[in-house]
Amino acid sequence: MSIEAQNRWDKLRWVGATITPALLMLTLMAYLPIIYALTLGFYHRTAFNPDAVWTGLDNFIWIVNDPGLWHALNRSLVFTVGSVSAQLAFGLFFGLLLHQGMRGLNVMRTLVILPYLLPVVVVGLVFRWILNPEFGIVNQVLMDIGLIDLPINFFGGLDTAMLSVIVATVWQYGSFAALLIFARLQSINPKLYEAARTSGAGAWRCFMDVTLPNLRTTLLVIVLLRGIWMFNKFDLIWIITAGGPLEATETLPIYAYKLAFQDFDFGRAAAACTAMFLVLVIGSILYFRFFNPTREVEVGR
Amino acid sequence: MNLAFVQRWIRFLAIAVGMTFVAFPLYWMLLTALTPREQLFRPPFQLLRFDLSLENIIELLSATEFLVYLMNSMIVAAGAVVLNVIAATFAGYALSRYEFRLKHTVAQGTLLSYMFPPILLAIPLYILLSDLGLRNSYIGLILAHASISLPLNIWIMWQYFQIVPVSLEEAAWVSGASKLRGLLQVCLPSALPGMMSVAIFAFALSWNDFAFAFILQTDTSMYTLPVGLATFVERTAIHWGMIMSSSALISIPTFAMVFLLQRYLISGLGIAR
Repeated sequence: MSIEAQNRWDKLRWVGATITPALLMLTLMAYLPIIYALTLGFYHRTAFNPDAVWTGLDNFIWIVNDPGLWHALNRSLVFTVGSVSAQLAFGLFFGLLLHQGMRGLNVMRTLVILPYLLPVVVVGLVFRWILNPEFGIVNQVLMDIGLIDLPINFFGGLDTAMLSVIVATVWQYGSFAALLIFARLQSINPKLYEAARTSGAGAWRCFMDVTLPNLRTTLLVIVLLRGIWMFNKFDLIWIITAGGPLEATETLPIYAYKLAFQDFDFGRAAAACTAMFLVLVIGSILYFRFFNPTREVEVGR
Repeated sequence: MNLAFVQRWIRFLAIAVGMTFVAFPLYWMLLTALTPREQLFRPPFQLLRFDLSLENIIELLSATEFLVYLMNSMIVAAGAVVLNVIAATFAGYALSRYEFRLKHTVAQGTLLSYMFPPILLAIPLYILLSDLGLRNSYIGLILAHASISLPLNIWIMWQYFQIVPVSLEEAAWVSGASKLRGLLQVCLPSALPGMMSVAIFAFALSWNDFAFAFILQTDTSMYTLPVGLATFVERTAIHWGMIMSSSALISIPTFAMVFLLQRYLISGLGIAR
């Protein structure tokens, strides 16, 4: 063996050795399960019947004919669009405030980041407590100042449940948008504002002509990443309402969870998840086609 | 009254409303946790109170399985951190030091895995770990948590090792050190901040995770804190004072992380989506 070949062999062995632990873990706990899950939709497989039987598209036909799927898809869209737009509003509000730079900025920044890193169970329980119909402080205050006569059953009411869950998600995840927007605002060249002002623009025109165009890609990235995340959101909704009342907050992940772990029909659940995944992939492809936020994805991540 | 004055007050008002929205739930959590038991069942509540007590916390620690859940959470988080630091450090090193064709695919795969519904990963993991007899075990949940945070952590280490110059290692090799020694004694010290952040992200994911622990750990003695706390609401013997106490206690690591590492996390969060 020549020295060069020997070196290449050494190098290959070294790369192999260093990357093996990670590769082994990912293969065992991510890649194989994912492939398994994507094929599972084509089998009849329940918890009581461990022998999977190939049934072709039966599971997919079943879920497409189940009105529950379409209701869940509808709720997922309401939840995702509602939550992401509210997070954007929250992010713009705090991003601009943080950018103004004032006393107490550090305290504010800390407070805004905190909810993002809190365990999701804490967010769920705290909101269930403060919005509690009997002992909740929000109802008490609203009644004290005379805005309402009877307590509102925020998470238990058919009309209010979805909105209340969305508020909880904004409280926890709005900071993601706020931080990205804040970071982007900091990097806008101040000369752009000077130029705008010398040509006679007021505060509003400055915002519309300088700030917003510079934020465009950041906002697009937030919508993409948060949209995917909210579409897949399971834990917070489950902790707060478990999909109730009367399925008012049963989004697709909850629907799939119930198929898998209440009906124990893994095949149908996998089919529902595969459908969700396809919706996201197709949605993202279209999104990239129309808005192309690629450059910012690389910078933003 | 001039315009600047009005503007200042509008801004102040906006900040006050926004900060109340953000801070009040946290404040109310802490206050409820410290409210004496007999006051809790006698609304209306005062927004400010000074007759605080630790009785909820003492009751929580003595009369519930809180400590069992805490133990489980700490074991699982520790395992996930160790696995992540080892696997991500080696893999990040390999990616940064050697050109190979699949590199770009790895980066794209990370974005694709981001789109993958966690619930779709949970179903096969449930079946797989059931078949292996690893459901309701520490090792099963540790592996699940570790492999979820691993892609991001590999990426972080990859970025870090790109900053560490290859020439340092080469100098070590020339003076006769083996490749492993070059990595351990020359590269690792420079990559220590990266390993710290890997440890933090792995810990945060494992400590905060509800979905996977909820699906994989069905035996109450194996519940981690988030899953255990979520069941508190359904149990009549446990009241909101104790629920908020447990919420406050489980948040302590979060508070610590934010306050100690605020500066770092701001730049880090951009990476951590």
